[in-house]
Amino acid sequence: MSISIQINGLTKSFSGFLAVNKVSLSVKRGTIFGLLGPNGAGKSTLLRMLCTLLQPTAGSASIEGYDIVKQTNEVRQVLGVVQEKLLLWPALTARENLELFGRLYGMDEKILKERVRSLIEEVKLTSVADKLVATYSTGMRQRINIVRALIHEPKVILLDEPTNGLDPQSVRWVRDYIVDLRKRGYTVVLTTHDMKEADELTEELAIMDRGEILAVGRSADLKEKYGVTDIEELFLSLTGRELRDSLTGKVKGRGW
Amino acid sequence: MKKDLTEFYRIKARLISMTMLPIILMLLFGYMFPAGGGVNHISIAVVQQDQTPAGLLLSDNFIYAAQSTKTFDVQTTTSLEWAENQITLGNIYGVVVFHQGVSDQLRSGSAQVEVVLDQVNPTLDQEVKGGITQIFLELQNNLSPSFTDGLPGNTGPTINLQFEGLVPGQQSSFEFLAPGMIAMTLIIGGLSGLAMTFSREKELGTLDGFLMTPISRVSIIFGKGLAQIVRGFLTSGLVFAISILLFGVHVYGNPFLMILVLMLGVTAFTGLGILATTFVNDQESAQLIIMMIQFPMIFLSGVLYPILQLPWFLKDIAALLPLTYVVSAFRAVMILNAPFQAIYTQVIVLIISTIVVYSIAIPLFRRSVMR
Repeated sequence: MSISIQINGLTKSFSGFLAVNKVSLSVKRGTIFGLLGPNGAGKSTLLRMLCTLLQPTAGSASIEGYDIVKQTNEVRQVLGVVQEKLLLWPALTARENLELFGRLYGMDEKILKERVRSLIEEVKLTSVADKLVATYSTGMRQRINIVRALIHEPKVILLDEPTNGLDPQSVRWVRDYIVDLRKRGYTVVLTTHDMKEADELTEELAIMDRGEILAVGRSADLKEKYGVTDIEELFLSLTGRELRDSLTGKVKGRGW
Repeated sequence: MKKDLTEFYRIKARLISMTMLPIILMLLFGYMFPAGGGVNHISIAVVQQDQTPAGLLLSDNFIYAAQSTKTFDVQTTTSLEWAENQITLGNIYGVVVFHQGVSDQLRSGSAQVEVVLDQVNPTLDQEVKGGITQIFLELQNNLSPSFTDGLPGNTGPTINLQFEGLVPGQQSSFEFLAPGMIAMTLIIGGLSGLAMTFSREKELGTLDGFLMTPISRVSIIFGKGLAQIVRGFLTSGLVFAISILLFGVHVYGNPFLMILVLMLGVTAFTGLGILATTFVNDQESAQLIIMMIQFPMIFLSGVLYPILQLPWFLKDIAALLPLTYVVSAFRAVMILNAPFQAIYTQVIVLIISTIVVYSIAIPLFRRSVMR
């Protein structure tokens, strides 16, 4: 199976603090890859580098063959990102939000309108598509947030804790949708704190802590290797059971 | 209460603006309105069209008296056209015209002296009017015998002052304020609107939505800048309409020239807005920084008070502010129908400051969004 995301020794340092330390990973095309780690492990920093929002300090990575530093526009074209924070403007309708993003990706207007219509239908929000996003429930907003990342028909989707704060019905819908994305050929990278979700959805996963990858592989193989029966046990055995009380320093207030 | 005061003390932006802003404003007001009061060294011109020895004696006596009071700084010329042009340029605030034959008129008992006023600033006009009237009263009472000999009885000659303006009608104080308010509304929108919208997007995280798409960073800036410009023109259009409809402000100037001046101004200030954006990450900080820039600028740029009233060091600061040039050019065009030649210095300054600001702001913005 070919590789969709290739990461080689990717490093990010902030004023001497190593947030990501020589991470190397491969994500196969058309699979769901899980990235797990405690808070402050460096998952978000890693994802922000892949999204071209942060410049790596060292190392390299490519998405669908495009270098994240030298070919940023190509990377942005093949990548769809669902951040933990909603990337929607509350004063716009769902339709307006999706059309805006489509235009930002340079989509043809006619194709865009049809694409928006079909995505809104996919997430069962046709009846409220022209209402302001500010009036939506959390679950509705997350559905639009997810299809927003698909508007330009990327090849790879990064999802950062997509089921955080959702009710069980919405959680079920999002999980089913992620599986459906894989069936449709998308490569999916998913971060989550829900171990059951990670076990259920991912074909391969990596456990990250303190900026480094501690383990990577298929869930079943990792359980066997570490002699545990579930992913949560594996996670805690690798990252420890102590509470993480580190201060994150200055809060920049942007996205992740 | 304790919680709010604790936050207040710990959030530096709030602490700095609470202490700095009142200090800045009080210093400004203190120096703009000194204890002694009054305005000195008002620039005026004297047009000496009567070049006869008697005519020159009369006008020189006026010049000497005017300069002795320290209220006026006097320039002399023989060209009324040149002098009126200086008013339009904002270089002088009044012209005293000794027409040809004025000395003969005086010997026959009554002479007419024309005084052309600035009109843009009615308050200053009153100062000029009052000062000149006082000087001529004293002059009249102390005329040389060469003017009084031969006049019947004990009556001395009278000097009648005819006050004129460059444009018809009597200007009100609001006519001084209106151009400044219109320019300020548009321009401050460019500065604060852009900084606020970017900081809001940073705070919400939606700026990442733009940054993760293939569009250029410059497009993001210009898109948002254009939106602020449109918004600014709509708001200042409202102020413009209210000025005319409710307060009877007259517009004498070329509308295209007025729009050109405003466009240059708002473009320069949008650049400052981009610069401000690179230093703030949240709306509150953006608001506080903008306030600290905005308020002193409004007071120093001639929007509400003539720059002439400022002490020399504040005048020097005013000369560095783009808003000063926008306000003076816009006011000259709108109220005095100044042609392009009269404001080309302000236009050049605005173009240069725009280029300089954008050359700094755009690279800084790019660096601030990619760490």
